Amino acid sequence: MAANKFLRCGKCLMITAVVAMLGGLAFLYSGLYPMGADVPHNGLTYWGLETMRERSISRAASTIEVPNDLASSERLLKGAADYNAMCASCHLKPGKNQSDFTLGLYPAPPNLAQKGDDHGHDGGHDDNTYALQRQFWIIKHGIKASGMPSWAPGHDDERIWNMVSFLQRLPELSTGQYQVLTARSDNTKKQEH
Amino acid sequence: MRSKFITMSIAISTLAFTLSAQAHDPKEHMNNAEKPDCAAMENMDHSKMDMSDPVMQAMMKQCMGDMEGMEGMSGSEAPQGAKPAQHGNESSTEQTGHNH
Repeated sequence: MAANKFLRCGKCLMITAVVAMLGGLAFLYSGLYPMGADVPHNGLTYWGLETMRERSISRAASTIEVPNDLASSERLLKGAADYNAMCASCHLKPGKNQSDFTLGLYPAPPNLAQKGDDHGHDGGHDDNTYALQRQFWIIKHGIKASGMPSWAPGHDDERIWNMVSFLQRLPELSTGQYQVLTARSDNTKKQEH
Repeated sequence: MRSKFITMSIAISTLAFTLSAQAHDPKEHMNNAEKPDCAAMENMDHSKMDMSDPVMQAMMKQCMGDMEGMEGMSGSEAPQGAKPAQHGNESSTEQTGHNH
């Protein structure tokens, strides 16, 4: 009697799963979901994607070892030049609030010239070490379907840490300081040779 | 004949690898950057500059040539802070509330 009930329940569950799967497939193939970057995700999809992103980064980044000399002026300088060349068009710089990329990309890239609390893309963590690990991981690996590329090809870990170093000071820089740090000076050239 | 082919293949692969590596050279980015505008630094009140701050040290490095004639800074300020090899003060400022 109990076994029959269990079998009937199992059958029901299986039918429900198959129907849900077929329904999902039908929705995928129907083309009804709006894929344009100018139409935001609905709340549920956004929550699902964001949760998956943050959980994935948290799991992958938590074991990364943070260098001790992240605050050094040498790292700052090297990271500044790279940030200006590779990141500023999307993640902005002091004195700039928007660009074609920030207006058109979805999700909009965070303004890294603002503090984490202001741009709301710091992963919601208060742990400073994790914030550094997270930034390193994102720069190195990128994020699928977000416009954020992986910089690992052609950029070693040290170079990525230099960018992380610069990011820590970026929100407090004035436009003048940013210009000097990211510019190409004769002294920088001498140090490179 | 076969060894010539292998040598040519290795030479072409090496050249392709070298060129791709050069494409990501940091100096390439630097070539596109503008020159630092150090005039603002020269007008700053040097006695109020915190030379233990890595940002200030980095700016000094960038403007070293332009600021050679700086006066009004004590001996422990301008020249030492501007030298690339000396970062004795930096360890104390590492990861101190600048993270987000």
